[in-house]
Amino acid sequence: MTAVLKPTLARCLWVAPAFAALAILITVAARSIFGMTPVLQESTLLTVAYIAGGIGFIVGIGGFDYWFTWMRGGELDPNDHSQHGAHSWGDYFKFNTDHKVIGIQYIVFTFIMFLVGGMFAEVFRSELANPGQQVLTDQQYSGLISQHGVIMIFVFMVPVFAGIGNYVIPLMIGAADMAFPRLNAVSFWLLPVAAFTLLSSFMFGSFDGGWTGYPTLSEQSGYGMTLYQLGVQLAGASSIATAVNFLVTIIAMRAPGMTLFRMPLLVWANLATSALVVAATPFIAGAQFMAMFDREMGTHFFTIAGNGDTFVYQHIFWFYSHPAVYIMILPGFGIISEVIATHARKPVFGYRAVAFSSAGIAILGFAVWAHHMFASGMEPWLRVPIMLSTLLIAIPTGIKIFSWLGTMWGGVLRMTTANLFAIGFIFTFVIGGLSGVMLAVVPFDVSITNSYFIVAHFHYVLFGGSIMTIYAGFYHWFPKVTGRMYNEVLGRWHFWITFVAMNVTFFPMHYQGLVGMPRRVADYAPEFAWSNMVISLAAFILGASTLIFVYNMIHSARHGKRAGANPWGGLTLEWLLSSPPPIFNFPATPRVIGGPYRYGEEGAKHAIVPEVEPATVETTV
Amino acid sequence: MLRVVRKRGYDAERGQFDSDLRARSKGVSEVKTIKVLPLALLGTAVGLVISLVLIFTRTLPVQASAEAAGIDNLYIFFLGFSGIIFGIVMLFLVVAVYRFRAHPNDEREGDNVHGITWLEVVWTVIPFVIVVLCAIGGLMVLRSGDVEAQARTSGQQIHVLGYQFGWKYSYLNQDIDLKDQQTLVLPVNEPVIFELESSDVIHSFWVPAWRMQMNATPGQVNETSTTPTKIGTFEIVCAYLCGVGHTNMNSALPGSIIPKVQVVSKSDFDAWVSKQKAEAAKVAESSSEEMTTGSAG
Ligand code: HEM
Ligand SMILES: [Cu+2]
Ligand SMILES: [Cu+2]
Repeated sequence: MTAVLKPTLARCLWVAPAFAALAILITVAARSIFGMTPVLQESTLLTVAYIAGGIGFIVGIGGFDYWFTWMRGGELDPNDHSQHGAHSWGDYFKFNTDHKVIGIQYIVFTFIMFLVGGMFAEVFRSELANPGQQVLTDQQYSGLISQHGVIMIFVFMVPVFAGIGNYVIPLMIGAADMAFPRLNAVSFWLLPVAAFTLLSSFMFGSFDGGWTGYPTLSEQSGYGMTLYQLGVQLAGASSIATAVNFLVTIIAMRAPGMTLFRMPLLVWANLATSALVVAATPFIAGAQFMAMFDREMGTHFFTIAGNGDTFVYQHIFWFYSHPAVYIMILPGFGIISEVIATHARKPVFGYRAVAFSSAGIAILGFAVWAHHMFASGMEPWLRVPIMLSTLLIAIPTGIKIFSWLGTMWGGVLRMTTANLFAIGFIFTFVIGGLSGVMLAVVPFDVSITNSYFIVAHFHYVLFGGSIMTIYAGFYHWFPKVTGRMYNEVLGRWHFWITFVAMNVTFFPMHYQGLVGMPRRVADYAPEFAWSNMVISLAAFILGASTLIFVYNMIHSARHGKRAGANPWGGLTLEWLLSSPPPIFNFPATPRVIGGPYRYGEEGAKHAIVPEVEPATVETTV
Repeated sequence: MLRVVRKRGYDAERGQFDSDLRARSKGVSEVKTIKVLPLALLGTAVGLVISLVLIFTRTLPVQASAEAAGIDNLYIFFLGFSGIIFGIVMLFLVVAVYRFRAHPNDEREGDNVHGITWLEVVWTVIPFVIVVLCAIGGLMVLRSGDVEAQARTSGQQIHVLGYQFGWKYSYLNQDIDLKDQQTLVLPVNEPVIFELESSDVIHSFWVPAWRMQMNATPGQVNETSTTPTKIGTFEIVCAYLCGVGHTNMNSALPGSIIPKVQVVSKSDFDAWVSKQKAEAAKVAESSSEEMTTGSAG
């Protein structure tokens, strides 16, 4: 009984609908009081209900309890840590301020979303397996590919890195938590709201504009399109709040001695990514607000009838969405640096070059957005500078690849599953990077843009790139998070099946695109029949390989061998703590005394964690 | 700050220069070192083979426009350097895994090397040179396309209207308006300037055989041009998601309502033009007749 009053999911179950109902009631009542037709547009009421219900969900889970108490002058105990740390598995379903709990919440939730998005892909791949249309109508097909893209990007790929960062970054820099733990928790709980908003659009026929949602098609679509716009705003709000948190945490909360150039490269990558998110994400949120206002409030930002301009949307959309592709890969680069250095027992080759190339990518990333618009009919002269800047961005990316090779060269490579994924990543990411260089060149791009060549390119960088880094990171930190080892044999099976199936799925798409198969189509010319069959079969195997991973993780978390504090012999701070780490991380403020990758140096240390806080710590810091 | 133990360092314990720390810990006196430069050359050779295989498994559609050859040459150049880079990276990756693999219970550490500046300069400069070459190639092809486009004042001027779900063409210089979904017919070796527009949502007019694509956008006229160089019929594909009929806006689908583009000889084209004009005149006549009879009645 009390569960429905305490901040729990049970409370959400009534608070969220209550907020939604209240919002509808107020709208209808206000209109009738002033003598207007009570219901102007049903869709407006729905939108109001969704927004209020979303806020209600955060209220229900307890996101605002602390602030409410403060506002009404209630009693607040600064030493009340009842919402900090997980004491039983039930705590993972509650509002929690511990960055480690939030990290796990993020990772598990986003991974489930990955499985959902993957299922959509399997469904539309079964449609594509044979020419003609057997499984899905055109409408269902566009609905599914759009959901697939949006779910994968906004509620899996971007936030999963926030999850890994949440768990690892405060440990790596020797902090007790993130800078704003409550904001951190609210950022996480916005994600289920975003996912619910997006997925519930299936009740209204989904949305059908692809993940890009361009007007004027978006103006024609059913109500699902509004939910797409709302869902993207919610996910965007979550990622901006998290990025602010990371920025402050990394800048202000590093342990004494952790100079910028002693930061592990994952921290560098997260710093660059967070700067990108803070600067770029407001653009897509803004674009979605304007597009939503056009649909729901009759404004004319992008409507042709009202002298709006669809180019404005395209520019703003890509001004975010190109940086977004780096938001989805830079943290992965950071993970690869950690994994390769640790498992090759060798310092990262060219640490500064790797760190600066992240910064370089983040800055250049703002100057290349229009390479998605070469065939859109934008100003012709703009194509040239954008082509040049896009080509330039290949250089810092190349530096990273070569530096990882240099790191492995002369190391002692422990072929753990984590390392296998890191090595496999180099293989697949190089392919995606090279097709990216090709696409930067205007005449070539214009000849095949919007074809399956594009689908091949971005899956090589997203699946062959980001997903491989995510798996590498999962395996690498699994012992730290759970205190147990995963099963290496299953890990190897997972790697090899994923790796082979991934290449068989996505490589032939290059050829399909070159020959003339457009993307986002439910049917194709007969000449593509056998290649599509091969791709679909490989895609099913790819999907199935995920089950090995899920089984390995769940089984090993409960029955795996005990891992001990430092199974990989890592030097960075998280490995100096027990596995899993204590609730408040470090018993006393650690001191950083050297670089993070001093492998091969006799007895070298990156940092020291004192057993207890020395009494003099205040005066020395 | 960092104490660097070099691979060939001074071993204080034994009071002598150690030829190879790793060799010592393995209990082997001599470890075969791998020369990097020959490996890079081998990688280049392997990569070249990959490039040639990719280039000669030709999968591109026919080159049916003046621009196609230039773009395809760019593509061949891309495959050339991509294969080589891929070959080198893969060879180093594979050799590293093979040569530097840890043995079970191997407690050795890697070399404490934090970087080699000249090497980092090399692998920054080489990609820079490659992307500069890409830029030059791209600009050359782009410019020759623009020069040709500029010269195309004389050719056919076609207004293309995209709609859900089809195309409608008007010959601006011939004063011919085709009906919805009527076949686009063009003379070979004569420049064509397309003015693309849409009456509803964004479509994209893609003719893979011409290597040409341009969006048809509502509210703006986009221009692009080409010179067809082959007689025959070629696919027209709508490349931008435009709603439920998008899949079928592709002339390559069996039973598609979208007609392929027809490129014909100059004389055939002239004959087709006069036929169109005659038909149009007939239609105009009959409708004006109707009007006069209508008013008389
Ligand atoms: C089982 C694995 C996957 C398969 C088989 C798959 C397959 C596909 C295919 C065939 C399309 C093109 C649909 C069309 O244009 O007609 C597509 C689109 C897309 N995929 Fe995937 N995909 C997979 C995983 C991923 C992952 C991990 C991401 C990560 C972010 C992703 C992101 C996207 C995006 C952004 C689009 C474009 C959606 C749009 O057109 O708006 N996919 N996928
Ligand atoms: Cu981009
Ligand atoms: Cu279309």
